[in-house]
Amino acid sequence: MPIAPSALPSSKNCSTGPTDSSNPFVSRPTSRKPSPTMRTVSGAIKVTRELTRQANRGVIRKGGVESRMQVVKYDYVPLPPQSKEALKRSKSSASLRAQAQFNGDRFITTRDVNSLAASLDQLAIQPESASPDYTARLAEATGIKLNGRILSYHEAPPIATEKTLQKQREAVAPLYARPRSLPSFTGAVTTKPRKILTKPEKVLDAPGIIDDFYLNLISWSSRNVLAVALHDTTYTWRVGTDVISDVGGAPQGSYVSSVDFSNEGTLLGVGMGTGDVEVWDIEAGTRLRSMRGHILSSGCGDGSIWHHDMRVPRHKVMELLGHSGEVCGLKWRADGELLASGANDQVVKIWDGRVGDVAEGSRGHAKWTKRNHTAAVKAIAWCLWQPSLLATGGGTEDARINIWNSTTGAHLHSLKTPAQVTSIQWCPHNKEFMSTHGYPTCSLMIHAYPSLERVGEISDAHDSRVLFSALGPAGDVVCTGAGDEVLKFWRIWDAVKEKKKRELKESNPLTSWRTGLHTIR
Amino acid sequence: MPTKQAPTRQAITLKGSTNLVTEFFKYAVNSILFQRGVYPSDDFHMVKKYGQTVLVTQDLALENYLDKILNQVNKWLLTGSVTQLVLAIISKDTRITLERWAFDIKLVNQEESTVESRAPKHEAEIQAEIRNILKQIVTTVTFLPVIDEPTVFNILAYTSDSADVPADEWVDTDPLAIEASKSQQVKLRSFSTDVHRIEAMVAYRYEG
Repeated sequence: MPIAPSALPSSKNCSTGPTDSSNPFVSRPTSRKPSPTMRTVSGAIKVTRELTRQANRGVIRKGGVESRMQVVKYDYVPLPPQSKEALKRSKSSASLRAQAQFNGDRFITTRDVNSLAASLDQLAIQPESASPDYTARLAEATGIKLNGRILSYHEAPPIATEKTLQKQREAVAPLYARPRSLPSFTGAVTTKPRKILTKPEKVLDAPGIIDDFYLNLISWSSRNVLAVALHDTTYTWRVGTDVISDVGGAPQGSYVSSVDFSNEGTLLGVGMGTGDVEVWDIEAGTRLRSMRGHILSSGCGDGSIWHHDMRVPRHKVMELLGHSGEVCGLKWRADGELLASGANDQVVKIWDGRVGDVAEGSRGHAKWTKRNHTAAVKAIAWCLWQPSLLATGGGTEDARINIWNSTTGAHLHSLKTPAQVTSIQWCPHNKEFMSTHGYPTCSLMIHAYPSLERVGEISDAHDSRVLFSALGPAGDVVCTGAGDEVLKFWRIWDAVKEKKKRELKESNPLTSWRTGLHTIR
Repeated sequence: MPTKQAPTRQAITLKGSTNLVTEFFKYAVNSILFQRGVYPSDDFHMVKKYGQTVLVTQDLALENYLDKILNQVNKWLLTGSVTQLVLAIISKDTRITLERWAFDIKLVNQEESTVESRAPKHEAEIQAEIRNILKQIVTTVTFLPVIDEPTVFNILAYTSDSADVPADEWVDTDPLAIEASKSQQVKLRSFSTDVHRIEAMVAYRYEG
């Protein structure tokens, strides 16, 4: 007769009766002491057949409340799957349990704190261990699907690139930027620095070229002919071929001080140190001249500017007085409306371009007079896509490029450069301009407009001051000359192949300027 | 979209609706991956869809991965086996689920079989609803906690037992749920075609 509480699993048969002394809660008259201590293996009931029958009916009438509590305790705690065969499907799962494996109670399903997962498992709904109806109600209440699966694709998703790699990508992005397509005149402005070839495309010997800041010894015609004055002789070179011809010589003892082609490239004006200007044969003026259509303007050493009309025998048609120093920079605007002059007196003057009989007193005065420069102004250039813009560059003391609006006279920008500015060239198809410099950098610098960011720089372009520059008719190659007796050709911008761009207003068909095209006089 | 909007105003078909829903998932997943920074933002480019610009990934590997998943989801939708699609965003290092975007898929019951059922929904209307959801996904960035660490995502499909699952492609996993005490949920807008109803919800992990 077993006395001690039985811990046998799946022992259904017990021959104990209601007076079984194994139930610690039942007081017995026997000498068996009740064991008030809490046993961890609690609730070890001897399950009799009687008990079983009662359990099937859902009620166990034996014992006190505590025993009923035990019944409830087992209600929802499922059996581990291993002892499934011992399980009876019943309304109340009060059938026996594998007590040894189970040491929890209603409130804490397992006292083994390390196996939280295990307790969760035991809490999980397992359809086999509970009534289907109950499970269904529970599932509905909690929203957990019982007969569903949670699926995930077997492959992991591709990993994102790391942050460092991303930073590296950002850092090198400018290197891989595609070259900007040539903008139209309302198009994009060049802001990113780009790679400028720092090697000249071609180098020509120019022995005898005079190293004087105030001279302008090269000119590049729209017919792709380059004229260079070497000491006292002027040579023309058809770019691309080897044809060099001699234009003419200065009188003995003098030198050629400036050369400039006319718009159409048919006339070459050559100014001498003596003050003579040759247009193939016509003489007048002095040191500097600039041609617009049929008007040849020359700036004189005394500061006056003379206009000469080619067509008329008495060619000197007008004189502009105003400068007090020798005129070293002179440029017509492309449409012939205005003439800009810069002189050794550090003044930039913009003159009305109309000449002739209509002259009144006002014509002799400059429209605008700008005294912002603090050195001689040799570099003057009109913007090719925005006709009202004028860029002027100052000499050694100044080294600034000032940009003006010639219509309003406003001073738009001022750009400080590291060396004296000897010439400026605007790009016809990009929104950029190039400046050549003398001491100490002897460089070419390319700037974007209007941001004035430095797009590129070719330092030490020459061994001495880069004094002269001329832009080719295609707008891509710039020829620079310096006192080191070398002419260098630089490919700075890409040529525009197609598209005639009618960028400038034409006030007078005869004086219109079309890069690369010819007009018939 | 292959909705049968014939002149007789026929209702949208199941196939058309599933295609709509699958496409919606594709753009929603892409938007979420972009907004939450799971993939670097320059991996995405803009396309026009639903009458607005949406961001789609350019990363081929990711695109193929998503396509494979969505193809299967499409098949499941046709048979009505999938009930929920979840995009879980998990921290790469700690493997903690940070966010859970859940899209419930419900079938719209047409109890009334009479002809006088409500008029078929215009495609424009459906598009407007989808647009609203996508916009809402973008605006969730205002309240969702900022994610600084690298993350990965996982797409879970809740299917029924009877679903036809290619065994070698899809495996059973756990729900990747956010810790219950730290989870906050926000219900987003929903859209419905005449056949399916999609409800969106985001649950995110929030400390304190």
